[in-house]
Amino acid sequence: MFSGDTIPVRTATPPVYSVRGLTKVYGFGETEVHALAGVDLDLHEGELIVLLGPSGSGKTTLLNNLGGLDVPTAGELRYRDTDLACADEDQLTRFRRDSVGFIFQFYNLIPSLTARENVALITEIARDPMPAEDALELVHLGARLDHFPAQLSGGEQQRVAIARAIAKRPEVLLCDEPTGALDVRTGIVVLEAIARANRELGTLTIIITHNAVMAGMADRVIHFSDGRVLHEHRNPQRAPVSGLEW
Amino acid sequence: MISELDRKLWRDLARLKGQALAVALVMGCGLAMMIMARSLIYSLESTRAEYYQVNRFAEVFAHLKRAPDSIALRAAEIPGVATVQAGISVQVTLDIPALDEPASGMVRSLPDFGEPQLNRLYLRAGQWLPPGSRGQVLVGEAFAKANELKPGDRIALLLNGRRQEFRLAGIVLSPEFIFESRPGAALPDNRTYGIFWMPYEELAAAYDLDGAFNYLALTLAPGATARPVIAELDRLLTPYGGRGAYGRADHPSHIRVSDEIRVLQTLAIGFPLVFLSVAAFMTNAVLSRLLVLQREQIAILKAFGFTNRQIALHYLKFAFVMVAMGTVLGWIGGIVMGHRIVALYHLFFRFPELHFRLDRSALVLALLVCAGAAAAGVIGAVRRAARLPPAEAMRPEPPANYRPALVEKTGIAHLLSHTFRIAVRNLERRPVQAIFTVSGMALATGILIVPNAFRDGVAEVMDFQWDVIQRQDVGIGLVEPASVSVRHLFAQLPGVVTVEPIRYTAARIHFGNRNRQLAIQGLTADGQLSRVLDANTRQIALPPAGLVLSAKLAEVLEVRVGDELRVEVLEGKRPVRAVPLVGLAEDFAGVAAYMDIRALNRLMEEGDVITGATFAVDGARRGEFFRALKGVPRVSWVAIKDSLRANFRETTAASIGVIQSIYLVFATVVAFGVVYNNARISLAERARELATLRVVGFSRREVGAVLVTELVILALLAVPLGLLLGTGFATVILGQVNTETVRLPLVLTLGNYSFAVLVVTAASSLSALLVLRKLNQLDLVGALKAPE
Ligand SMILES: Nc1ncnc2c1ncn2[C@@H]1O[C@H](COP(=O)(O)OP(=O)(O)OP(=O)(O)O)[C@@H](O)[C@H]1O
Ligand SMILES: [Mg+2]
Repeated sequence: MFSGDTIPVRTATPPVYSVRGLTKVYGFGETEVHALAGVDLDLHEGELIVLLGPSGSGKTTLLNNLGGLDVPTAGELRYRDTDLACADEDQLTRFRRDSVGFIFQFYNLIPSLTARENVALITEIARDPMPAEDALELVHLGARLDHFPAQLSGGEQQRVAIARAIAKRPEVLLCDEPTGALDVRTGIVVLEAIARANRELGTLTIIITHNAVMAGMADRVIHFSDGRVLHEHRNPQRAPVSGLEW
Repeated sequence: MISELDRKLWRDLARLKGQALAVALVMGCGLAMMIMARSLIYSLESTRAEYYQVNRFAEVFAHLKRAPDSIALRAAEIPGVATVQAGISVQVTLDIPALDEPASGMVRSLPDFGEPQLNRLYLRAGQWLPPGSRGQVLVGEAFAKANELKPGDRIALLLNGRRQEFRLAGIVLSPEFIFESRPGAALPDNRTYGIFWMPYEELAAAYDLDGAFNYLALTLAPGATARPVIAELDRLLTPYGGRGAYGRADHPSHIRVSDEIRVLQTLAIGFPLVFLSVAAFMTNAVLSRLLVLQREQIAILKAFGFTNRQIALHYLKFAFVMVAMGTVLGWIGGIVMGHRIVALYHLFFRFPELHFRLDRSALVLALLVCAGAAAAGVIGAVRRAARLPPAEAMRPEPPANYRPALVEKTGIAHLLSHTFRIAVRNLERRPVQAIFTVSGMALATGILIVPNAFRDGVAEVMDFQWDVIQRQDVGIGLVEPASVSVRHLFAQLPGVVTVEPIRYTAARIHFGNRNRQLAIQGLTADGQLSRVLDANTRQIALPPAGLVLSAKLAEVLEVRVGDELRVEVLEGKRPVRAVPLVGLAEDFAGVAAYMDIRALNRLMEEGDVITGATFAVDGARRGEFFRALKGVPRVSWVAIKDSLRANFRETTAASIGVIQSIYLVFATVVAFGVVYNNARISLAERARELATLRVVGFSRREVGAVLVTELVILALLAVPLGLLLGTGFATVILGQVNTETVRLPLVLTLGNYSFAVLVVTAASSLSALLVLRKLNQLDLVGALKAPE
C-alpha cells in the first residue's frame, strides 16, 4: 500500500507490532466474509492511535487479532519477537496476561467483585503490576474502591475497566469504542484517563471509535474500510482531550 | 403447520437439552419409584385377594391337642361363623436320601373324598391324591424346589415315630403357606422344612386321631368380626387342649405379605415426594434462567401483540415437554424395576401366579403429579414473564447486585482468593438455588446410606443372633414332651460336644388387659448354647423363679421388671399362675419369654420334662451326627444353623442387592442431575463474565476453577448434611422395622458413609467435567459484544 511511504518513520527502534497482508475470513463458501483483507501496519512504542471506519469494516476484528483473542486466516502478525499468527492457546493466554490491556464498549467488569478487587484480580496474575489502589487513583476513582459495579455509573465502570487494563503496566492498550455507551462529558473523562495512561506509562494505545472528533487526540489516525487500511495521517500535535467537542 | 412460536420452543429445548434431560431424569426417578411401589402393592394385594378367594383361605385358625369331630360342628354354630374346616396338623421328621442333615416338616390332612371346604390347594405339578389313596402325599412347592423333588419321587416321613415311605403324587401351593416356614422360626429354611398333605384317614390312623381333629380353620359370615368368634372358639376348645385361636392378622404367612405391602406404601409416597420437589425446583431454575435470557424476546413478542396467555402457555409447554419426558422415563423405570422386584418375590412368596400387574391409575397419577410439580416449579417464573411490561423488558437487565459474602466479614477476608470471592458471592446472591443444589446433593448422599444401613443392620442381627445368643449348631424339637432322661441319649450321639435341654410351652401372657400368645422357652439357667442376654449383651442367669421377656414384648405389654404377669398355659394341665417379670432380654427376631427349665416344669406341675434340645457338634463329625440323628424317633423338627444362615444369605442378600442397585442409580441420577443443572445455569448466567476473565489473561484452568470452587463449596456443605440426612432416613426407616416380628439395630459404618460420599463425589465430578468442557467452547469475542 502506498500509505507507508507518506508517513515518516518516527523512531529507528523496531515496531512493537508488525502486520503484513493480514487476512481474516469468517465462514466459508457462500457465507464467506473477508473481515480483514490484507492489512499492512507497523505500530510503535508509545504511540496513541485512533482507528476510524464504517461499521463492519473490520476494526474490531483487527483489534481482536492484535490482542490475541483471535488468530488470522493468513498473513503475518508479529508482536516483537512473537509470531501471533501461529501462537497456540497457551501462548495467546500468556500474551494477553502479560502484555495487553483491554477496554471494551460494555466495560465487562466482574459484577461480583468490587472496583478494587476487579483491578486486583489482574494485578495478582501480572508480572510487574502497580498497586490496584494506584491504578484506580490514576482514573480518579480512589474514593470508590469498595463499590460493586452495580453501584457505579457507566463512566465510573469504564474507568474501573481502564484501571484494570493499565494496572498491570501493559505494553499495549487496546480500546474498542470505550466511550460508545457514554455521554460526552463522561466520555471525555474516560478518554483523559486513557490518554494519561499512554502519556505516563508510555503504553502503545489503539482506540477504535466512530467519532471522528477523537482523531485529534491521536499521534496517528488510521482510516479503515472493507477490511483494509484506506489511508492514515499523523497529527503534528496531539490535541488535549478536554478540548475535544462533539 | 407448526407455529413459529413452537419452532422457537424446539430450538430452546435443543439448546437446553442437557438440563431438560436432567430434570426429566430426576422426575423419572420419583415417578418410577411411585409406579413401581403402587404396582407392586396392586400386584401383591390383588393376587393375594384372588388367591384367597379362589382357594377359600380361612379367617380364623386354631390348634388344639385333640377334639372329637362333633366339636367342629359346634364351632360351626358359633354366631358369625360361615364355614368350618377341621383336620389334622402334625410335625414330622423327614428322611430325604439326598440330604445329609435331617429335615422336618408339617403334615396336614385332606378329606379322603372331595376337596376341602377351606384352604384349598393349587396343583402345580403331578396329580391330586386319588380318592381313597394310601402311601401318597402332596408336597409344598418351596420344599420340593429346594430339594429338586419331582412328582413320582419317594420320601420317608417319621409318622408318630414310625418311618413310612411315601410317593409324591403332586406339588402344590396353599394360601396358608404363601410364605413357607416353620411356625415360630424367624427365618425360612426351605431345604430342611417342608409341608405335606395326605388323606385324613391315613394320618389319623398314624396318630390315633380317628374321628377327631387337632387343627381347625373357619371363615366368617359376611359382616362378622373375628374378635368375638375367636373368644367363643377359645372357650369351646380350651377343654380339648386349645392353644389359642388367632385371626389372619396373626397368621404367619399372611403377616409376611402384609409387611411387604406396608413397606411399599411408605416407598410409594415418601421418596417420590422428595424427588419430585427437587425436580420441581430444577424446572423452576431452568425456566427462570431461560426467561432472564429471553427478556427482550418476550418484550418484542408482547410489543407485536402476543397476549400474556400465549406467552405463559409457550413457557408452560416447555415445562411440559420435560414432564412428558420424565413421565415416560418414570413409566419405563417403574415397570422395569417392578418386574425385577416381582422376580425377587418369587424367592420368598409362593403364589400360583405372581405377575407384575401395572397399576394403570399410577401411570395417570404419575403424569398428574409430575405435571403438578412442574407447574409449581414454573408458575412463578411464567407469571413474572407475563407481567413484564414490554418497555421494561426491552432494556437489558441491569448488572446484578452483589455484596461482600458473610464469610468475608469474619476477618479472614484477606486470606480469600478472588476466585473464592467470586464463587462465594455468587452463591450468596442466589441462596435459594444454592440451597436446592445442596439439598439435591444431600438427598443423593442420604438415600445411599439407607440400603447399606439396612444391610449392615441385618448382618449385625444375624451375627448377634447366631454367634452370641444362639451358639448351638443344631436345635431339635420333639413330637411330645419326653422325660429328661432322653438327654443322656442325645449326649451319646456321635460328635456331640455339648447338649442342653429345652422345654417349649404354649402360653398366653397377660398384663393388665393386654396379652400375647407365644411359646415360653424353658432353658438351662446358665446355658452356654441357647442364651439369654441383656441390653449390654451380658448373659442373664435365669433365676429359679420368674420370667424374662424380650424387651420389645415388655414394651408392648407395658410391663416393668418387678411387675407380676399372669401366665395362662395352653397345654397340659393348663395352669394359670402369677409370675414376676425378673429381667429383659435383648433379641431381634420375634418376641420371646424365657424361664429356667426347672421353674417352668414346676409351673406346669409336671416332672422333669423336655420338648427339645440344642447341640454343639464337633465340626469334623457333623456328617456322622446328622446320620445318627436321622434315626432318632420322635424328633419333630431340626434347625441347622449353617443351613439357615446360607438360606438367609441367598434370599436376603439377593433382595438387598437389588434394592441397593436401585438406590444407587437414583442417587447417581440426582447427584448428577442437580450438579449438572446448577453448573449449566452458572455457566449460562456468567458466560460473559467468564469469557471476560479469559480475555484479560486467565487460563482455561483458572476460569474453570471459579466454577469448580462454587461446586466444591456446595459439595462441602452438602455432603455432611447428606450424611446427617442419611442417618435420619436410616433411623426413621429402620425404626419402622421395630415390630414384634423383627427389629433392626441402627448400624452406621464408616464404610457406608464413605461409599455414599464416593458415589456422590464421582457423579458430581462427572457432571462438572461435562460442564467444564462447555467452558472451553466459550466465545471470547462474543462476550465483548453487547450484553445479551
Ligand atoms: N464471528 C463472526 N462470524 C462471521 N462474521 C463475522 C464474525 N465477526 C465479524 N464478522 C464480520 O466481519 C466483518 C467485520 O466485523 P467487525 O466486527 O470487525 O466490524 P467493525 O468494524 O468492528 O464494525 P462496528 O463498527 O460495527 O463495530 C463484518 O462484516 C462482520 O459481519
Ligand atoms: Mg466493532
